[in-house]
Amino acid sequence: MSDADRQRTRWFLRNILPHEPALRGWLSRSAPPGVDPGDVIQEAYTILAELESVDGIIHPRAYLFQVARSVIVRHVRRARIVPIHTVDDLERLEHPDDAASPEQHTIDRDELRRLAHAIAAMPHKTREAFVLRRVKGLSQREIAARMRISENTVETHISRGVSFLIDWFGRSGNRRSQTSRNTEPEIAALDGRARHQSRH
Amino acid sequence: MAERDTSRDIDQAASDWTARLDRGPLTPEGEEALQAWLDGDPRSRGALLRARALSMFSESAQALGPDFDPADFEEPPPPRWAGLSRRQALAWGGGAAAAASLVALGVGLPAAAGTLISTDRGEIRLAPLKDGSTVLLNTETRIRVKYSAGERRVTLLKGEAYFSVARDETRPFVVEVDGRRLSTVQAGFRVRKLDADPVDVLVNQGEVDLAAPRRATVETMALTANTRLTLSAPGVGRPAVAERPQPIAPEAVTRELAWREGKLAFEGETLKQAADAFARYSDTRIQVPDPDLAREPVTGLFAANDPAGFGRAVARVFDARLEQKGDEVILTRDRTRASGSH
Repeated sequence: MSDADRQRTRWFLRNILPHEPALRGWLSRSAPPGVDPGDVIQEAYTILAELESVDGIIHPRAYLFQVARSVIVRHVRRARIVPIHTVDDLERLEHPDDAASPEQHTIDRDELRRLAHAIAAMPHKTREAFVLRRVKGLSQREIAARMRISENTVETHISRGVSFLIDWFGRSGNRRSQTSRNTEPEIAALDGRARHQSRH
Repeated sequence: MAERDTSRDIDQAASDWTARLDRGPLTPEGEEALQAWLDGDPRSRGALLRARALSMFSESAQALGPDFDPADFEEPPPPRWAGLSRRQALAWGGGAAAAASLVALGVGLPAAAGTLISTDRGEIRLAPLKDGSTVLLNTETRIRVKYSAGERRVTLLKGEAYFSVARDETRPFVVEVDGRRLSTVQAGFRVRKLDADPVDVLVNQGEVDLAAPRRATVETMALTANTRLTLSAPGVGRPAVAERPQPIAPEAVTRELAWREGKLAFEGETLKQAADAFARYSDTRIQVPDPDLAREPVTGLFAANDPAGFGRAVARVFDARLEQKGDEVILTRDRTRASGSH
């Protein structure tokens, strides 16, 4: 990771990621049907990743919600939703839950505990590999030797560990959604025609 | 690639790339592949940022000390399905060699809750499903979609939906409504479940089989094109009506399905019934206080989103007066002998 990358990632970790559960909650309540909160969140993060600089962002939470809102507007425009009445659904999106954020920006004890619980809940082999890599600092090659598995398998375990954290932290306080995602791939994107459209 | 990746797929790929980058520097081919992936979808870069941030975050577990043993943090065993479905969730998209053992864990589990799709009042939406089938949801409708290896199941929770089912001999398409099962290999059919009325099934194309209710002695009933069936409601105080498919003229089918074009079609329904039909589509209410006027038959094709326009048309035909107050359209018959007739 380049220094710039690392800085942006760290900024994101401290200033944006803590707001994801709130953003997801707001999206689940307010986004028009067919607009997947998961899609909106990823696209919003892309916009943050591509910003030249984040120095000007004084209120990251408000900024995040604003970016997410712009993504929704784009989705709605390309979705095949036929509104047969004139009420502008977007009105509902005008007032995101913008209360001052109580979240901590530094990693505190609670967060550390949550992390420990998340790691504890991983499948065993994944957990073993993940702890050796991220906590004990062994390289993937060293882990492969120690666990007597291939390096590719170690990589898979690390990937699965990261997936697990995405699940755990993104959907915190909303465990039920974790199960519902089993079936998510069954649904073709509801904005079907927008497939593989690139952003301009 | 015909399918758009879900956010879940993207997260999976982002996790894979994070692990790959964590392993060591990429080869030039690897760099190229990463770049292609990043450029391939507007969500990729954001997903990767999040995955890497969480990976970075996990380093802080070092603060737990060299003796950190995750086993100390294991939660009391969750209900069996919860723990396993989580693994199953992780396993489904992996495609990785090591995923095989995890997939095995997922076998035989109760499937997850399914995906909900709904519309608000006044909306029609088309939901394409993965197998090429589509569901068109009418106003204020809610369905749950749950596909498995054995069947493509959609539950109609409320409202009205039109199912265009793509052929798949091996995996029937099943619509569940009020505990009853309608199944088909390929068909176009409408199912309606409104609060006040018994469930109504209308087959437009193909054939749909209605499974017998539990404990019933009758066989499965086949519904063919241009057939309509009202399910007997097991409700309290309502006598069970024999379920018998009624043939219905193709024009009537078209009329019944006019909502798919955002229209409402009437042919001889009473003005009251027509007014109630409009009420499903907007907050505007058509009030017809005069019982005689309310019984007048209405015929025509109207825009579902324009109850006031319907009111004006009706007023002209029946020589009625139209008054609009906020969300109310009131139709009255202009007669001075109003109370003198009895």
